Amino acid sequence: MEFLAQTDPGFWFGQPETMDLRIKVIGCLVFGFVLLAVLLNVPSRWRKYIVGAITFFAGLFWILQFFWPQPLHRSPTDLPANPKEVVSFWLDDAVPVVSDFTSILTAMLTLLGIFSLLRVHLGRLFKMQKDWAFSLVLAIAFVCQATFSLWDYYDRKANPQITAGHGWHIQNYMSDLLFDGMVQQFEAAMFSMIAFYILSAAYRAFRVRSPEASVLLGAALIVMLSYMGVVTQWDGFVKSMAGSNQFLLNFQLSVIRSWIKDFVQTPSIMGIEFGIGIGTISMGLRLWLSLEKTGNI
Amino acid sequence: MLGEVPIGAQYADTGWFGVAATFMVMVFILYNIVRAHNRHDLFIRRIPGLNAINDAVGRATEMGKPIVMVPGLGQLDAIAVQAISIFTHVVRLAARFTTPIVLCCADPAVYTVAQEMIRDVYLQEGIEDRYDIDSVRFISDRQFAFAAGVSGLVLRDQAAACFFMGAFYAEALIFAETANSVGAIQVASSTETTQTPFFITACDYVLIGDEFYAASAYLSREPVFVGSLIGQDWSKIAIIVAIVIGVIMNTAQIGALKLNQITEAKSDAAYKQLAAPRPITMDDTTMSLMFNPQDDKTWKVERPQKPKDTADKGAGK
Repeated sequence: MEFLAQTDPGFWFGQPETMDLRIKVIGCLVFGFVLLAVLLNVPSRWRKYIVGAITFFAGLFWILQFFWPQPLHRSPTDLPANPKEVVSFWLDDAVPVVSDFTSILTAMLTLLGIFSLLRVHLGRLFKMQKDWAFSLVLAIAFVCQATFSLWDYYDRKANPQITAGHGWHIQNYMSDLLFDGMVQQFEAAMFSMIAFYILSAAYRAFRVRSPEASVLLGAALIVMLSYMGVVTQWDGFVKSMAGSNQFLLNFQLSVIRSWIKDFVQTPSIMGIEFGIGIGTISMGLRLWLSLEKTGNI
Repeated sequence: MLGEVPIGAQYADTGWFGVAATFMVMVFILYNIVRAHNRHDLFIRRIPGLNAINDAVGRATEMGKPIVMVPGLGQLDAIAVQAISIFTHVVRLAARFTTPIVLCCADPAVYTVAQEMIRDVYLQEGIEDRYDIDSVRFISDRQFAFAAGVSGLVLRDQAAACFFMGAFYAEALIFAETANSVGAIQVASSTETTQTPFFITACDYVLIGDEFYAASAYLSREPVFVGSLIGQDWSKIAIIVAIVIGVIMNTAQIGALKLNQITEAKSDAAYKQLAAPRPITMDDTTMSLMFNPQDDKTWKVERPQKPKDTADKGAGK
């Protein structure tokens, strides 16, 4: 068990760009392919039990980590004080290693994602199907961004003296232009479009078609007006009219807005979030115990 | 109230309460899954958003246009798997009528799982040859690149039906309004409460909150799903009862929540004697402590130390 939870530099920790790490990476790759080949050749009726067992033990680690008392105020020089802490220290030390498994898996899957993207678009491009021009733009953008970003990365690594705007070459300028000058700006443009969509969606939602829509419109109007300049005028007017009558002070727009937010909106959202949280636990349990299967629905 | 010495960091603020509540939910769900195998009279109320799935697929079939499905922006977690589970029902219907589908993913892991699950559906229907490998696509893992990619696809293909289910963020309204602009029938659900109002505003049907998780039980009536749905309902009833008891106790000023003088309060993860008694506040309640966990750095625990030569290497992350 110590194999999974190593606090000292051990099997799971390799210094970057060393032969030791490269050998480990190649070894793990070979081991992974062998494991995959074995799994593919296992009879399909056994495969689901193997997958179920792996899922169960992987989930069991996190369940244990959640329920087992975690070490309080642990320092690097501490040793476990009792048998309970032996387990809690082990779990605590194993978390980074187990989390790294997820990161490695994600990195492998990213390659699959890129493969899917390129297969769809290059296929369309070579067959000159409908909208092939968009696929051409994507292919050019993909090649340019990958080339210049990697070139820029290795250039900056080899020449640490390169700073913002000083000692730049074509690769640095192009990487900057493509990412900061284009990708970021395109994303900002997409984000800014939401403002217009909110307007058009709000127009449809606030049309008085039913009693529910009227209540929605009324509540929205109060909240909107309470954030505008009109609130100062109206609240001042209510205060002057109310005098010592505390009840009338409730008709200030800012008070009504707070009431809507605190007594209508927040409890509704909390109710929805309770439901979602419990649903997530339920789904997680079904996944952990392999009760969730594609053929069920 | 906590004892003098908490048994673990996660118990430092609330004692056993938070963990026991989670454990209670787990027990309710598992017990009802077992119980549902012997019961066939369990009732699930009508959910319009799920009834609309058949209409949406039928419409797409009549128009000969594709169905677009998006399982959100999140990573591969329970939310994404639930979204894909619902999509398998959509795909099953679409496969029977040879209606084209496109499932757009923002996460490579979700893409891989979705591809397997959709392929399984075609296999189960005995029409594996109709499965188009490109019907499940990875678009981009960058939020607005993904939004642009999906919106472009909906516009170019003139989608007849769109299903947006999963974890959505700012891009939710972009999807919904784009689909609305091409006249697509939309069924949506977001586990992010901040985005649910946008979907309600812009989509035809919305699954709100845990309706998203009820979909599996509603569509399949499988004992496993129906049982877990009832377990969820039991958990919600327990929470509601706790809230009602809390309201009554607080109103009547009885029990732990009474507005009384307290002589000790939580400070630096431990209960300490106050210099003078003071009235209890919201910050002193277990519920407040559960949602505002405190740091345990000041808690002193006496432990044996590592030998000096190995102490430097120790991580103790």
